[in-house]
Amino acid sequence: MSTTTPTVAVTTPPAVRPGLGGVVRWETRKLRHQKRAWAVLLGALLGPVPVVMVIGAQSRPPKDSLFGRFATENGFALALLVLGFASQWVLPLLTAIVAGDIFASEDQHGTWKTVLTRSTGRGLLFWAKTLVAGAFAVLVLVVLAASTIAAALLIVGHQPVIGLSGQTVPSASALALVSASWATVLAPTLGFTALAILLSVWSRNPAVGIAAPVVVAMVMQLVGSLGGIEGLRPFLLTTSFESWHGLLTAPRFTGPLVEGVVVCGVWVVVSLTVAYVLLRRRDITGG
Amino acid sequence: MTTLRSLTPRAVGVALAVLLAVVGLGAIAVAANGGPGSSTVTRARLERSLPVVFANVYAEQARLLGHTGVTPASLDAQAMCDKGGAQSADVGPGSTWVCLMSWTDTNVPMPSEGYGKFELNVHSNDCYTAGGPSKLTGYLTLTDTRGREVSNPAFEFDGCFDPGGDDTPTGHTFPSVTSVISTTAAVDARGRVGVQLGCGTGADGCVGTATLTAGSTTLGTVPYEMTEESTTMLHFPTASPAGATEVELTLTPATGYASSSGSTLPVQ
Repeated sequence: MSTTTPTVAVTTPPAVRPGLGGVVRWETRKLRHQKRAWAVLLGALLGPVPVVMVIGAQSRPPKDSLFGRFATENGFALALLVLGFASQWVLPLLTAIVAGDIFASEDQHGTWKTVLTRSTGRGLLFWAKTLVAGAFAVLVLVVLAASTIAAALLIVGHQPVIGLSGQTVPSASALALVSASWATVLAPTLGFTALAILLSVWSRNPAVGIAAPVVVAMVMQLVGSLGGIEGLRPFLLTTSFESWHGLLTAPRFTGPLVEGVVVCGVWVVVSLTVAYVLLRRRDITGG
Repeated sequence: MTTLRSLTPRAVGVALAVLLAVVGLGAIAVAANGGPGSSTVTRARLERSLPVVFANVYAEQARLLGHTGVTPASLDAQAMCDKGGAQSADVGPGSTWVCLMSWTDTNVPMPSEGYGKFELNVHSNDCYTAGGPSKLTGYLTLTDTRGREVSNPAFEFDGCFDPGGDDTPTGHTFPSVTSVISTTAAVDARGRVGVQLGCGTGADGCVGTATLTAGSTTLGTVPYEMTEESTTMLHFPTASPAGATEVELTLTPATGYASSSGSTLPVQ
């Protein structure tokens, strides 16, 4: 990979260059015109409704999963059951559909040279794309969480729920705890966003950028569930997907939650740094 | 489908590199971390967590049944946990965890050994599913005070514990139950009787003597010694008298618990 030529494009900016805000607006506009992004949002909004209806109507509750025991008769339990399921691969997939494509699509369409020479530098473009992908991840998670909780409470009900210490959690505090539980998966979701960005920049291929994070998530789930290699668990992104368990016990414990945020932060920093370096050093003269 | 057609050698290379990195990471972890020492699933944490969860769901069950005077505190539940019998270390996730638990509820008396046996499936994410003896905790559903069939919260329940929680031993122990496993007394060609004994989960196994009688004839007194979760075959020296249809076995435990009333076995 040559590193000499691209500096030309970076060091000779056009007369009028937009700031970060301008590039972000511009990337957002590109995203708004993607059917795929809208499909993801629509899926996050409407998908939980049939899922909640089907699980809520089961005659035998899905006891194998945490909170599955009460899922057919309690909306809070059902919302937490769906959270456990969403963490397995749905959230990594939803964020990767945009983050895994946002850099690689420029390769796919051969538009790198156009965007770089006409409008902005690589650094600015990198941060703009990263911000947009991160904001989209937050948006998808908020929509999915709100839709799931609303559907579960409306369709199945909002009775007091039995927590993970066997304690009865009254409806009023259960809503806050379930919402907080959904909020805790933001850290690992952003971790997968950063991973998808790295894979997108590195592979220059949207298919790899989107599919590889999902595969990585599944492998991490598998590794994390194996006995005997639990020393590795704290370092996996997927472990943070389960740190909400501590919020539903009495007394609460937040050790894994704090540890998870730190671990996800490290994943994000390392992934973005490598992606940034790869993009800066890239030879983009071919177009 | 354009994305699939544009799978360049570079993209395939990255995908392979990611897979290799993930697999390699797993292999390093397995090689470097084979021991169970790093697991957060420990005996002490389970012994602290299970009684708390159980006391809560049991109090909820008592409320549904209309039993009065049952609160999580009044139960004073205490547990002793063991994984996979005497041989394996009591650490790490698995479905072979057994916890013995005692509690106080005047509505439902405890068996004479003083505890109930719970089977646990413990996961690496520090959560578990536990189920206890139906004699003590009831069945899948129960009839509440208003006559409705509702699910029994104590039949089977989930719990999670803090992976950073207190890991000092609780010191709770319960004796193993020595029991007669044979349903009939086996008589060999020379008329000698054999009986199989089993030793349940508990502390320090089962040691003692067994005395076998047939009517007024004593067929012998034989010592036994078993580790917990194992069985042994006892052979009594004196041949059983001709025509004896049943024998009675009396256990005198030195370690472990055994029912004070003898067991009567038909002679085969």
